[in-house]
Amino acid sequence: MSTQLPASISEETVNEISAERDEPDWLLQTRLEALSALEELEMPSVIETPGRRWTNLEDLDYESIVDPLDQRDETERVSAEGAKVLDFETALEEHPELVEEHFGSVTDPQTNYLTALSTALFTTGTVIYVPEGVDAEDVKVRAEMNSTSLFSHTLVVAEDNSSATILERISNGSAVDGDRYFSNLVEIVTGENAYVQYGSLQNLDEDVYDFTLKRGDADRYATIDWIEGNIGSRLTRSDIETELNGDSSETKIVGAFFGHDDQHFDINARVWHNGEHTTADLVTRGVLDDEARSVYEGVQDVGREAWDTSSYQRENTLMLSDDSEADASPKLIIHNHDTEASHSATVGQVDAEDLFYMTSRAISPNTARNMLVEGFFVPVLEEVEVDELRDDIDDLIVARLD
Amino acid sequence: MATLELKNLQAQVAETGEEILRGVDLEVNNGEIHALMGPNGSGKSTTAKVIAGHPAYEVTGGSVRLTLSEADVADIDVDIDEADLTWDLLDLEPNERAALGIFLAFQYPAEIEGVTMVNFLRQALNAKLDEREELFEDEDEEGADAEDDSGYDTSPMEGPADDGDVGVAEFQQLLKEKMELLDMDEKFAERYLNAGFSGGEKKQNEVLQAAILEPSIAVLDEIDSGLDIDRLQDVSEGINALRDEQGTGILQITHYQRILDYVEPDHVHVMLDGKIAKSGGAELAEELEDEGYDWVREEVYEAA
Ligand SMILES: Nc1ncnc2c1ncn2[C@@H]1O[C@H](COP(=O)(O)OP(=O)(O)OP(=O)(O)O)[C@@H](O)[C@H]1O
Ligand SMILES: [Mg+2]
Repeated sequence: MSTQLPASISEETVNEISAERDEPDWLLQTRLEALSALEELEMPSVIETPGRRWTNLEDLDYESIVDPLDQRDETERVSAEGAKVLDFETALEEHPELVEEHFGSVTDPQTNYLTALSTALFTTGTVIYVPEGVDAEDVKVRAEMNSTSLFSHTLVVAEDNSSATILERISNGSAVDGDRYFSNLVEIVTGENAYVQYGSLQNLDEDVYDFTLKRGDADRYATIDWIEGNIGSRLTRSDIETELNGDSSETKIVGAFFGHDDQHFDINARVWHNGEHTTADLVTRGVLDDEARSVYEGVQDVGREAWDTSSYQRENTLMLSDDSEADASPKLIIHNHDTEASHSATVGQVDAEDLFYMTSRAISPNTARNMLVEGFFVPVLEEVEVDELRDDIDDLIVARLD
Repeated sequence: MATLELKNLQAQVAETGEEILRGVDLEVNNGEIHALMGPNGSGKSTTAKVIAGHPAYEVTGGSVRLTLSEADVADIDVDIDEADLTWDLLDLEPNERAALGIFLAFQYPAEIEGVTMVNFLRQALNAKLDEREELFEDEDEEGADAEDDSGYDTSPMEGPADDGDVGVAEFQQLLKEKMELLDMDEKFAERYLNAGFSGGEKKQNEVLQAAILEPSIAVLDEIDSGLDIDRLQDVSEGINALRDEQGTGILQITHYQRILDYVEPDHVHVMLDGKIAKSGGAELAEELEDEGYDWVREEVYEAA
C-alpha cells in the first residue's frame, strides 16, 4: 500500500480508544485486525479516464488530517416509539449480542484502506434497533463534528416486519483551522419484509475531506431505500450499496449533490441482484457551479440466480459553469437474462429553450435558472419521507443559488 | 393605446448566419386582431421569437418598437413623460419586453419538470409587476443616478418564494377564476409546467398565461393547432376576452381559417420568404383557403 500510516496511529492508539470506552474484547480485536490490515489494503478504486485519475485519495495528507485521540462531536438522537436509537457505547452495554452479531456483517471492515482506518479508529456512532413489527417513523440523528478528524459507525438493525424512516445529518459545530477528515460507515441489516428509508444530508465545512460507505443487506420482501444529499465538504467520496439477497427485495438509491467553488464529489451507487424478483431504482441528480467537479459510478449487477430482475439507473448532471467538470459511468452487468433493465447518464447545461420560455414570461434570467435548478432536484426531494430532511436539503439548495 | 411596429426587420440564425427575415413590416395596434399566415418555413415563428427576444436569432437590420399609452401604464406609480412611452424592444432583454406587455404564446411550449404551474405563474406575475416599476424608474432617474440601480436590483431568491406583490392566496383565487374561464381543470395548477400535457392542453395553457399576465400585445403562434372543437372555442373566447377586456392587440399566426371564424381578424398578412408579401382584410384568409399560397406568390412575383 502506497499510503504511509500516520505516526499517530498505532496499536497503542487503538488500545487507548477501545479502553476509554470500556469495549468488549471482540470489538478491540476487530479494530486491531483492521489496523494491521492497513498495510496491505488498497484505497477504494476510483474512476479513471484516459490521462486522468479523477479522485486522488492517495494524495491526502492523512498525517495532518487524522488525529485519532482528539475526536469530538455533538450528536443529537431522536428516537421513535418502540425503537432504540442509542450511541454506540450505550448500545454495547444494553444490546451486546445484537451489536456483536451485526457489526461488520454488511460491510467487511477490511473492504479497503479507508473502511479499515474507520473501523480501527471510530469513537462515535449510532445503533438504531427496530424490533420485530415496530414502525419507527422520523428517527433523527443530527451530528456535529468539532475536531480535526472524526470517525463514526452507524448500525441499523430492522427486524422482521418492522419499518423505519431515518434522517442522518452531519455538519460542523465549532470551526477548526486547517483541513479535516470525516468518515462514516453505515450498515443496514433487515429482517424479512422490513422497510428502511435511510436519508442522509452532508453539509460539512468546505475544508473537510469526507469518506462514507453505506451498505445494506435486504432480506426476503425487504426494502432498503437510500437518500443522500451532498452539499458541503471539500472532497466527498461516497459509496452507497445494496445487496438484494432476499427474494422479492427492493432498493432505491437516490442522490443529490450541488457543488460550487472547487468542491469535488465522487459519488457511487451499486446494487447486487442476488435473489429472485428483485427491483432496484438508482436516481442521482447533481448540479455543479464554478470549478466544482463530480464523478459518478453506478453499478447494477444481476447475478446468475437473479431471475425476474428489474433494475433501473439514471444519473443527470447539470453544469452551471463552463469551468465545472463531470464524468459519469453507469454500468450494467447481467448474468441472468430474465431481466428488465435500463441505465443512462447525461451531463448538460440549463436548457436554453426552457430559459427563454420562462424569461418570456417576465421572469429574470437568474430567477429562471434558479427555478430550473430547484425543479431539477424535485425528483429526488419527492422521494424523501422525513419532512425535516426534505426541507433541509431544499433550503441548502436554495441557499446555494444566487 | 399600445402599438407594436416592426420596420424592415431583418434577422438571421445567430449560429450559422442563415438569413430568415428579409425586411418584415407590420403594425399591430391595441384592440386589433391580425392574422399572420404563410407557408411552412416562411419565417412566421421566427418573427414571433425575434419580437420576444429569442437569443438564437441576430437582428441585422430594422426595428421593433413598442409605443404605450397613458392607459397602458396607469398601474405604474411614477411620473411618466411622453418620451418614456416608446421602447425600442431590440435593446431590451426578453423579461423586460414581457414586463412592458409583450406576450408570446409558443408554437411548441417548453415542458418544465419540477416547477409547478401555480408557482411559475405567480413568479411570472410578480416579476412582471416588479420589472415594470423598475423599467420606468430607471428611465426616470436616467442621468441622475443610472449607475446606482444595483441598489434595488432584486435578487430573485433573497426571500422566501412567497414574497412579491401578489400573495399565494390572492394568486390562487386569480388562477382559479382564469382557469374557469378557459374551462381548465383545477388540477392543472399543481402539475409541472406543461410536463406531460397533451398538445391541446399546452395551447390552452398558453392562453391561460396570457389571461393572467394581461399583455398589451400578444403574439400567438399556432395557438389553434392540436385543439379539439370544444377547446378551440374555449381558447377563442379567451383570446376575444383579452382583446375586449384588456384591449390587447393580437398577432395570431395560423394556417387555418377555422380559428378565424371565432377570432375574426381585422387584418390578414401573408408571409413569404421572410417578408410580408400581401396584406388585406378578413376576406384574404378565405381566398387563401381556396387558392393556396401559389396564388400570392405569382401575384407578388408578377408585380416585381
Ligand atoms: N434556430 C434556427 N436554426 C436554423 N434554422 C432555423 C432556425 N430557426 C428557424 N430556422 C429556419 O428558418 C425558416 C423559418 O422558420 P420558422 O420557424 O420561422 O417558420 P414558420 O413560418 O413558423 O413555419 P411553420 O409554419 O412550419 O411553423 C425555416 O426554414 C427554419 O428551418
Ligand atoms: Mg412556425
